[in-house]
Amino acid sequence: MPSLENIANNIHQWLNNNFGAPWPMLIEFAIVGLCIIGLFAMLGLVLIMMERKVSAWMQLRLGPNRVGPVGMFQTAADTLKLIVKEGMTPAGADKFLFNLAPFIVMIIAMVIMAPLMFAKGLQMWDVNIGVLFFTAISSVSVIGILMAGWASNNKYSLLGAMRSGAQIVSYELSAGFAILAIVILTGDLKISTIVNSQADGWWIFKGHLPIWIAFVIFMIAVTAETNRAPFDLAEAESELTAGFHTEYSGMKFALFFLAEYVNIFVVCALGATLFLGGWQPLHFGTDTQFNQWMDYIPSSLWFMGKTFFLIFVIMWFRWTFPRLRIDQLLNLEWKYLLPISMINLLLVTLMAIMGWHF
Amino acid sequence: MTASQVIFYILSAFILGTAVLSVTTAKIFRSAIWLLFSLIGVAGLYFWLEVEFIAAVQIVVYVGGIVVLIIFSIFLTQQSGKEMLKASMLRNIASILSVLFGFALTYNLIYNNNFQAKDKPFDWTVNKIGTQMLETGENGYALPFEVVSILLLAAMVGCIVIAIKSKPEEKNG
Amino acid sequence: MFLVNYIKDVLSGIKSLATGMKVTGWYALHHRKEKITQQYPDNKDTLVLPERFRGEVVMPHDEHNEHACTGCTACELACPNATIKIVTKFDIQPDGKKKKAIDKFVYHLELCTFCNLCIEACPTDAIKMAQTFEHSVFDRTNLTKILNKPGSKIREGIE
Repeated sequence: MPSLENIANNIHQWLNNNFGAPWPMLIEFAIVGLCIIGLFAMLGLVLIMMERKVSAWMQLRLGPNRVGPVGMFQTAADTLKLIVKEGMTPAGADKFLFNLAPFIVMIIAMVIMAPLMFAKGLQMWDVNIGVLFFTAISSVSVIGILMAGWASNNKYSLLGAMRSGAQIVSYELSAGFAILAIVILTGDLKISTIVNSQADGWWIFKGHLPIWIAFVIFMIAVTAETNRAPFDLAEAESELTAGFHTEYSGMKFALFFLAEYVNIFVVCALGATLFLGGWQPLHFGTDTQFNQWMDYIPSSLWFMGKTFFLIFVIMWFRWTFPRLRIDQLLNLEWKYLLPISMINLLLVTLMAIMGWHF
Repeated sequence: MTASQVIFYILSAFILGTAVLSVTTAKIFRSAIWLLFSLIGVAGLYFWLEVEFIAAVQIVVYVGGIVVLIIFSIFLTQQSGKEMLKASMLRNIASILSVLFGFALTYNLIYNNNFQAKDKPFDWTVNKIGTQMLETGENGYALPFEVVSILLLAAMVGCIVIAIKSKPEEKNG
Repeated sequence: MFLVNYIKDVLSGIKSLATGMKVTGWYALHHRKEKITQQYPDNKDTLVLPERFRGEVVMPHDEHNEHACTGCTACELACPNATIKIVTKFDIQPDGKKKKAIDKFVYHLELCTFCNLCIEACPTDAIKMAQTFEHSVFDRTNLTKILNKPGSKIREGIE
């Protein structure tokens, strides 16, 4: 059966046989770059469509249904509109930083994808520090938002940027603790090791209650980190018009919008990798008929299925809960999530030392 | 010149260029952003050296922590969008001189001590760093680690004491 | 005691969030049956609009190109936002008397709120609400309509 791993290996072999020393690497860079840009475009189209459909269904509406079959080409039409729109730069803005900010946000969303394992053996960069790379790079994305907010020369943008900064800096802590719970059980930061450690069962099944708590905390924290409702104070449209991207239009706005959805994809992919076993199929027991059926489903489908399930959950949050106030937001983090995740981390450590997990 | 050297020179030029821009620009926020790029360049240098852990820590601590704090304090000051005053001639000369002296000192140290490049690959893993950090035996860092933790704990307690609201007496009971 | 309250707090919070998610989740699964929005009426041939649907003000003319408007301006006075403007003229009747009649019944569709007050006010039932609903045009001036057809006159016997 042709798998993505074989395809990637064959391309690698073929390039190495046909070209001299630096060329295979450079050509692979180009191929990976093209794939990532293609993935970005696809994610933008699919996720925005999904968001609009999910929101419509939860509010008993129909959602987009005019452009193409069941409205499938609506987002493509919207993208076309955004491309031909004029990208305005307001008069009092710091032009250089204003135009730089969307690209920073975008580039960070791209870089953060590097260690993700999309299918069995399909990974761009199996870096030693794996999950630490995620937390490190995602902490930079706040800079792009602060830059956009300040350079717009608009008080709403600045307020949105400050809120976003406070929010991301504080929720990074509990997200980090939730990730650490898995790192303690696996004993390694590498993504491939973490995925392989779940071959006999996903951590959410093997890890008992503490991992469940860690998973819930992780989902809450990443929802806050990606500035999604109910934590969307940074762009709270009823208070700050659109927060840090109030002044952006055309393609520059589209980059912010795209980066938001790509960030959601990345954090959900990370959640699927850490807690739901990455590309590992669902197995119960050993050597049963059920396990063999599950193995027939390709690993990339498993990964994408889990990721999109988590994305659906995050969208479910957005269309169910009202927005938090800033004091409620900080209360939730510092008085609830942080102490609970710290105690939870101790429990997980105890579990790992005593070998209570399966 | 090998590809590795080319990357090194590009990274160094990036770090130095953004560092110079960060001290010469007239707007304080832009200067913070140039500092950020300079620190990211240093992290890139660590990635180039294949010490990913140090690079990630560089990004977490300096880029994600310190520069964000600097930017926050810039936001909270007044007139952060205004151009700063031109520095006086004496100050410019003094800063150029101090930079030259610093460069001379570093160059002198490197030139006189004749550091040797290590042939075998740099061996590190996160596990090793962790073990050594908590080791009590020879080459262990348990004591400095604990001392630094206590220092940080004291700093945090101090912060809370400063920030805490003193409640009126009657409500305490 | 503090700890018990704290844990109770967390659990009740989780429970209330789960209740909310249950509601929206149920909606998401049953959106086909439960949906409350209407599609745009594309089925022009079989479309049945409610009897009292108010699309725009029209003035019915009979086969002799005659209408029932006397030009009394009751509708103009009744209109809350100056949608109707009646320009009158004086017809010379066969017996030499002058008689007041409408020259132009100007109707500004862009100002109309479809409140039906003009139709209520009309003593001769000269105007009524039509059931059209596709009013968008490319030029705003197209929305200013003259309701009486050219060359039309008032029907005999209506005062």
